[in-house]
Amino acid sequence: MDDLYRDLIIDHYQHPNHRGSLADGVSANEANLMCGDTLKIMVKMENGKITDAKFEGGGCAISIAAVDMLLDYVKGKRLSDVQKMSGTEIEKMLGVELTPSRKKCAYLGLEVIKKIGL
Amino acid sequence: MNLKRYFPIYKKYPKLAYLDSSATALKPQVVVEAMTDYLSHYSANIHRGLYQMSEQASSAYDETRKLIAEFLGTKDEGEIVFTRGTTEGINLIARTWGETYIKPGDEIVTTQMEHHVNIVPWQVLANKTGAKLRFAKINDHYLISNDQWEQLINKKTKLVAITHESNVLGTINPIAEITAKIKAINPTCVVVVDGAQIVAHQPVNVVELGCDFYVFSGHKMYASTGVGVLWGKRELLEAMPTFMQGGAMIREVGWQETVYAPLPDKFEAGTMPIAEVISLGAAIRFMKSIGWKTIQEQEGKISALVQKRLGEIDGLKIFGPSDLANRGGVFSFAMEGVHAHDIAQILDETGVCVRAGHHCAMPLHGLLKVDSSTRVSVGMYSDEKDIEGLIVGLQQVKKIFYHG
Repeated sequence: MDDLYRDLIIDHYQHPNHRGSLADGVSANEANLMCGDTLKIMVKMENGKITDAKFEGGGCAISIAAVDMLLDYVKGKRLSDVQKMSGTEIEKMLGVELTPSRKKCAYLGLEVIKKIGL
Repeated sequence: MNLKRYFPIYKKYPKLAYLDSSATALKPQVVVEAMTDYLSHYSANIHRGLYQMSEQASSAYDETRKLIAEFLGTKDEGEIVFTRGTTEGINLIARTWGETYIKPGDEIVTTQMEHHVNIVPWQVLANKTGAKLRFAKINDHYLISNDQWEQLINKKTKLVAITHESNVLGTINPIAEITAKIKAINPTCVVVVDGAQIVAHQPVNVVELGCDFYVFSGHKMYASTGVGVLWGKRELLEAMPTFMQGGAMIREVGWQETVYAPLPDKFEAGTMPIAEVISLGAAIRFMKSIGWKTIQEQEGKISALVQKRLGEIDGLKIFGPSDLANRGGVFSFAMEGVHAHDIAQILDETGVCVRAGHHCAMPLHGLLKVDSSTRVSVGMYSDEKDIEGLIVGLQQVKKIFYHG
């Protein structure tokens, strides 16, 4: 547990780098059906590469930390490459092993980003 | 009194602090044994076999109906219909009574504190029939004010659906008083009560409540999942069309027409969940052997303790009546800056089982201005140690999220 709620995760949850919105850009949103939390992600792109990304919405520490770390990672990457990422990579970023129900929380950000442009 | 000894789960997990009885109650040994006995020794189908084993199964099944009638304070066993649970009971009423008697322009009233099961079937019914769906509001004390009924009920109100106890707020609605108010304004208005959250915790007498339908599930009162009860007034049940059609619910079938069986068989189509019904009979016998006095004293003591100890935690807000006289042992709360899922997960690590989410009451959580809450709910086996575990877990939550 101390592992799951290690300082890095709590820090991203309490002081996320990417909370907010973008005036222009493309976006998508999705709800976690288990808890009803909704998440919106907006990305700005130049030449197919992500230059900025923000998220809006509530969530648990796991889902917010996961989306914030994901948006740290996506800057400078191609959206199409990001959309090929797997849940395992999210778990690696968080550095923890998740139970099946918490995987849903952790993967929510990735699911939303995969919907962008569809 | 240590009631945990009747529940085999504590033999396997002696330190378990199970505080999710609102979702489903743990099962006592006698319930497990009654089901196993049927499945192992006389697992015949009921009512149609002329051999002894089938007679034995039929008699165990019918015995539960007798026990339920007595449990609800009615003498007419024909008014007791077995269902698969509260959800099926409410859907049955909406689909049969509702679709027959609700007309365009009629009004259906429910409340803001309902579980989705007491909202969605009425939305569907209102859309199908052209009726209007209205909601009784909750006040700042998480109660429904008396004036709500005077404002909402009129001659167009055909049906009122209300929970006896809220699965989020713990609020116990004074059903007898509410029914009297409704019937004084409109005597023909039908009152449907969702008793899922209360039947394991205090005696219910449907005659004294004055309602028309009362539904509940077996699994929240120490029986198996897959069985529930619909009680309805005989004249209403008789005037309703059938719900599901099939075996066992008929008197005579021709190629084009069918004469249905009398109550309660009319509503029990196909092979019913026999083992589950038998488990419900065992659960009622078990509750009788413990006695309401013991159950209510134990749960009352633990509920008071939960309220006191949660109240001592800074930044924690309980959504529900502060007066224990108006509530049962269901406590939903939010902690500032911490998501309910994180609370539940940290509690789980310390062996404390609670529920986190919207508890199938999304519109209510919207009113409470939170996406989700953490819910603690007590059963007869809950004790001081469980609550101690809860508080230790919540202190851990504070340590992680508040660094203090």
